[in-house]
Formats: sequence, structure tokens, C-alpha cells
Amino acid sequence: MLFNSVIFILLFLPLSLIGWYGLQRFTDPRYARLFLVGMSLWFYGYYNPWYLALLGGSVLCNQCFSKLFTCCSTRTGRRWVLGTGLVFNLGLLFYFKYFNFFINNCNFFLHTDLQVEKIALPLGISFFTFQQVSFLVDRYREDAPCYGFLEYACFVTYFPQLVAGPIVLHSEFIPQLRERKNRTPYAEQFFDGAALFILGLGKKVLLADVLAIMVNTVFDDIAIIPYYLDAPTGILAILFYMLELYFDFSGYCDMARGIAAMFGFILPVNFHSPLKAESVQDFWRRWHITLSRFLTTYIYIPLGGNRKGKFFQCLNLFIVFIASGFWHGANWTFVVFGILHGTAIVLEALFPILQKGPRHLKQFITMLFFMMTLILFRSDSLTTAFIYFRRMFTVGWSGYLTRFATHLQIPENYAVIKLLQLRFPQYLTPFYLICMGILLFVALLFIRGREAEEWIREKACTLRGILCLATVFTWSFISLSQVSTFLYFNF
Amino acid sequence: MKESAKTQNKIWGKHKALKGLAIAVAAELLLLAAVVFVLDPFYQYHAPWLGLQQTLFDRETQMAGSIRNLSYDSVLLGSSMVENCDSTYLDARYNCHTLKIIKASGSVADLLYYLGLAHNEQELTYIFWGLDLSALTASNAVTLPDVYSPSYLFTEMPFDDLPYLFNKDVLLEKIPLMLAYSYTGINTGGAAYDWSDGKNFSAAKAMEDYQKPEEPLPEQPIADKIPVIEENIRMVLEEISTHPETNYRIFFPPYSMMMWDYRYTSGTAEELFYALEQILPALLTCENVEVYYFQSDVDIICNLDNYMDKNHYSPSINQYMLECMAAGEYRVTEENMDEVLSGMREVYEYIITEGIYKYYD
Repeated sequence: MLFNSVIFILLFLPLSLIGWYGLQRFTDPRYARLFLVGMSLWFYGYYNPWYLALLGGSVLCNQCFSKLFTCCSTRTGRRWVLGTGLVFNLGLLFYFKYFNFFINNCNFFLHTDLQVEKIALPLGISFFTFQQVSFLVDRYREDAPCYGFLEYACFVTYFPQLVAGPIVLHSEFIPQLRERKNRTPYAEQFFDGAALFILGLGKKVLLADVLAIMVNTVFDDIAIIPYYLDAPTGILAILFYMLELYFDFSGYCDMARGIAAMFGFILPVNFHSPLKAESVQDFWRRWHITLSRFLTTYIYIPLGGNRKGKFFQCLNLFIVFIASGFWHGANWTFVVFGILHGTAIVLEALFPILQKGPRHLKQFITMLFFMMTLILFRSDSLTTAFIYFRRMFTVGWSGYLTRFATHLQIPENYAVIKLLQLRFPQYLTPFYLICMGILLFVALLFIRGREAEEWIREKACTLRGILCLATVFTWSFISLSQVSTFLYFNF
Repeated sequence: MKESAKTQNKIWGKHKALKGLAIAVAAELLLLAAVVFVLDPFYQYHAPWLGLQQTLFDRETQMAGSIRNLSYDSVLLGSSMVENCDSTYLDARYNCHTLKIIKASGSVADLLYYLGLAHNEQELTYIFWGLDLSALTASNAVTLPDVYSPSYLFTEMPFDDLPYLFNKDVLLEKIPLMLAYSYTGINTGGAAYDWSDGKNFSAAKAMEDYQKPEEPLPEQPIADKIPVIEENIRMVLEEISTHPETNYRIFFPPYSMMMWDYRYTSGTAEELFYALEQILPALLTCENVEVYYFQSDVDIICNLDNYMDKNHYSPSINQYMLECMAAGEYRVTEENMDEVLSGMREVYEYIITEGIYKYYD
């Protein structure tokens, strides 16, 4: 199920909230937890009930591993349990996410002819796998107790964070689940949650989905008619993609955090104005923060972090970024994306002078670097990415920009477009360009402006703020007739 | 002014803010729903109010509502082949009030589904049915609702209308279009659903739609198609026999000779002949049916200037068909049926051996 769908907003969310708080009247908290797990499973299995078997199996097995840690008193035994748990979780992830990629590469490099059916990628598998891996490692380190099955199932399946993060740690979630004060709704938290959900919905529906129309046009076309793409359009399209990705993912995270707050939970922050970052290192402290945290805690530090000298620090950083790239998708484009970011981070670590200079210049350079690497992130193959880069750095004007602009046909500008088509067709192209300019301006305004939570704290509780929130909600809600999916579901 | 700015920026308590937010959202949504309900571009609730004209411009979304809520006593039924017919001409000649019921591709099952809705609402005097031969070979299954015609259009439950009442496309596209059409008279009356505006009907344009292959494929066996065709014919006859009080005027619209040549080169002509040879005698046994056959008129189908692609002709052909039907021309009777059938075979032979080569070398 999608957060940005009529059924979620009108049926699922109210029903879950009523059930959750209603069942808290019983002294035994298990009823409410069971209900929450049930609703989360409905949410997850809405489009494909078969995914439930995978999720359920994964939760059950990991709970068994957790119990085994309790039974094992020796270090070797605990190592075996951890090893088996990791092989199980990463094996599942490998099978569903990377197996096709692996076979294709075997066929390509080893000249074999292995044939396998295309394996569908279950929603959010990377997220709940990482979450459970972190739990097993913590169990091994004796940093986590053996939770009851219902508590553990609540933690993994909790629907706001299930399919696209943030990657929540057991130590953040379960204490809140046990907290008695979280068992009654508080207007303060509920309002903040609702406001955050609305702003996230607006980011996704009103900005990301509109930007996507433009971006998809270019990337669909480039596969068929690559020579159309010229430098100005290439730059604009990838700028639009950067904005789309940001609003899409941060919108999702805002919605997730907003919904969680309505249930009385605080989920970790996943974005902190990443496009204001002053270096690539700073960028990864602000973008998908919970992924960076996971990679740091469970890969970088166990590898030695910065404790073994500069060389190993750089090597460890590089490994972390290759893992990060590969986590995003089973494609060489993501691997190269990770390599580029890893290289940039290593260079920054080796040459601190790179991080010096005027703040705005550093912000601009970091954003430019991220934007350029997104060509790899968005392209479906290295060849497409290569063509894109080549066209972008080829001097020339094919007029593709106007074709690009004419794809900005949305209900909001429909009446004007129709009028211009009938009466003043000569003004149609300038009008599209103006619309594109407005869209870009608005998107950049939000990027450079205050963060959602800051705005909520300062402005949401005024008449103007409330009217603004209500309008964003209404506008987004009436835009849901065309439902889209979130980009990060695939990761 | 200062006072108003102060009010707008005054910090509220969260309790009050939550209530305020709920009230504001409810008020905005109710207002939008009221706009959609009153103007009702899909005619889900009522015929036009506020002096607006009945404008029909989006067959996928307006069809079900218009069948339920507009007033009519006859229907013009078919695919895009009859969409440009001026239904007011039929009204004048047959003294009736006709609603167009159109479905893209117009399979028998889908058209009968719509017709079923119409029978539930009205006593129909006439059904003018532009029957495509390809519709007789199409699947017997109803494809509605589909992605273009969502299920809420076909039910009268208020709850499933939410995607209609709260829909940006409806508010910002369909309603402005409806108002503009109502004001200018476009897509109103007999010109409902007319798609001919801005279209180019010429041999050059039509020929863009068909690349004649050098070698034809062998004729395909039709054994698999026979049960489908026979079931479609059974459904047509059942519709006619269960409504003896309704007068059916069934006509076969003229596809261009490119279509016939395409059928020849793809080896699929025989299924059309089979459908034709089965349905004509079956229809002629029904007392409340008159049949008109235009597909073998060489002057129409061999002149590609009448067409924009293999099938679709200019509105003048639509009008010509209506006038001929009103005058009783092109009518098929038991007496001339064999002649009509053999005539179509002869025209087909002429097309594939000679006619088509006037345009294609």
C-alpha cells in the first residue's frame, strides 16, 4: 500500500489509529501490538500477498536466531549463530535482489549460458534485512536482549518504516513500544505528526511526481533517440532528477515519521538539508542518515574505521561506499556511483584543503558532484550513462529543450495550454518554459528553505500555517487519482 | 490590516490547531466535492444544471453516467466508426431523441453491456447500431470497467465516488473543458464525441497507416474463431429478441480498401467473411431489424481521400450513411442478401488484384 493513496489516507490510517489507541484500553499491551502487526502485514501484502510469506519467514527465522543466542553460552557458538543469521539474511537479499545480476554477469564474463527466470524484487527487502542484521549483530555483541516475538515482529514490520526506511534500530523502537505514555494520544505529538505527514505528502505528490514527468521523458527518449539530447537539456534534466529524488525520498521519510508520531513513536531523522552540504562527506551525514549510520556501525567500524592509519581508513571508506552503491541496486551503474562517491570521500580525507573555501562555493560544488553522479544512478546501464555524459558535454543546441518543456502538462496548467493552443499557439512554447522555470524555482526554494519540522515548530500552529497545511493536504489528496510509487521502494 | 496579520500569525495551542486543521481540511474537501457534484462533468448524478448544455467529449468517463442520467429514447451504438454521425439528423428523420453510445473498438460484449444499462433506464424506440465486422470476431468477454473507465462510473454507491469527487483532473481539466464546450457549443447535440476536428482525410494521410507487404501471408484457419463469432452473433440475436418493441437499424460501416487488403496480406480476411455470412441471414429473420450494408460501395471504399487511416472515414460518409438509411437505400433483404454477400467477395477480389494498386505499386 502507498502512503499517497486514497485507501491509505481514508481507511487504513484512521482504522489503524483507532485500533491502536482503542486496544490500549486493555491492560495487556499484546492486543494492541498484535493489531499493529496485523495492520502492518495488510499494508505490506496489499499489492502482493506472497511477499508476506517472505517477510513472515524472515521475522520468524531471525527471532529463532535471537533465541539461539540465549541458548549459546560459548563465544564460538555465538559466532556460529551470527554467521548463520548473516548468511540467511544476506542470502535472501542476494537471491531476491542480486541473483539475476550475478547470473547475467557470469554469462557475460565467463561466456556461460545460464538461464534463470526474472526474480521479482520484494518491496523494501533491503530495509528490513538491514534492520534485522543490525539486531543480530547487537545480539551477538550482547547489546540487545532477546525480545518477545510480538515485540520483535512489531519492530520489524512496523508499517511506517517497513518498505523505505528510515532504518530503525531495535534500541530506538522497542523502548518506545514499551513506554506507557505512548499508549494514549497526545494532541501535541498528533498534530506535529499530521503536519509532517501532510508536508511529506505535498513533497511527494506536488513536487516529486511532477518533476518525474520531465525526467522520465528524457531518460525514455535517450534510449531511443540519444542524439536529440543537448547540453542544456541534459543539465536541466539531471537537476530535475536530483530534486525529484530528494522530494520523493525525503517526502516519504517525512510521511513515515509523521505517521509514526501519530502512533506515539519517534523515528530517526533521515534527511538534514542534504543539498546544503559543504562536502561529499558532509552530504552523506545529511542524506539517508540511517543508511550511513548502519554502514558506519556495521561495516566501517568493524573493519577498523580510522584506527589503523590513513591508508586503512581510506580503504574502509572506499569499501563502505561500494557497499552503499551496491545496496541501492543490482546494476553496475550503482557500483560506479558508489566508487565515485568513495573516491571523493577518500580524496577529501587525504586532502583537507578540498574542504576549504567559501561556504556557497563548497555547497555548489558538492551539489554539482552529486548531480553528475546521479546520471549513473538514474541510467539503466553504463552505456546509457555514458551517452548521457557525452551528450551533456557536447556543445550544440538541438532544440530538445523545448520538446522537454512541452512535457510539463499537468492539470494545473491545462486550461491555459488549451487556450493558448486555440488562440495564441505562438506563445505555447514560452509558456511551457515559464512553467518549467516556476517549477524549478519553487523546488529550489524548498531545498534552500527551512526543514519541514522547523517550519512546523515555528509556523504550523498559526491560522496561516493551518490554512497552508489544509491546502497542501487538499491539493495533494485531489492529485492522488494517478497513483505513483516511491523511488526508494526498489532499494 | 495589522490586526489581521496579527490574527494570522498568532500561535495556537496544539489541541486547537488540530481541531482547526481538521475543520479546514473538511471544509476545503467539501467545497471541492460540491463543485464536482453541481457541475458533474461525468453525469454521475444528474443531467446538466445551471443552464449548461449537455456536452459529451470523453466517451470513456462520460458514457455510463450519460446513459443513466440523460434523457433519450433511442441510441446510436457503435465504435469510433459511428462517433461522428450527427445524431440530430436521426432525431429529425425518425422523430426520436438519440444518445450516442460509443466504445472504442466496439466489441459486441462491451456494446451490449452499455446497451443493458440503457435498457434499464429507458424504453428504447430505435437502436441505430453501426456493427463492425471486427467486433464480431472480438472476445465475448466484457472489458468494462477498465483503466480508462474506472469502476466507480458504473456503480451508484456514493462511497466509491471519492476518486471522482476529489480528483484534480476532474476539477482542473474536465470541468473547464465542459464549461468551455457548453459555452461554445462544441461537442454538444449531434456533434457529441465528434473527433473529426483537425483531422486530415486524404489518400496521403490514409496511406501512412498501411505499409503493404510485398508477399501476403497464407490465409489462416478460422476454426478457433468460429465459436467466438457464433457466440457474438448469439448475443446480438438475444438482445434483439428480448426487446421486440425496439426497432433496430443495423448498418455495416465501410472500411477502406486498405483494410481489406491488410486482411488479405495478413491472411485474416476469411474470418470477416465468415462473420458476415453468418450474421446477415440471422439478422434478417428478426422482424424488428432493418439491415444496411455499405462495405461494398466501391465509390466510397476505393477512394482513399475519404479516409484518415485504414478504417476511419470523414464525417461526410457518416452523414451519407444516415441519409441512405433514412431513404431505405443500401438495405439488405432476404431477396438481395445473396447478391450482397457475393458482391462483397467480388469487391474484395477487385481490391486485392487491382484496386489497391492504384495507390500502391
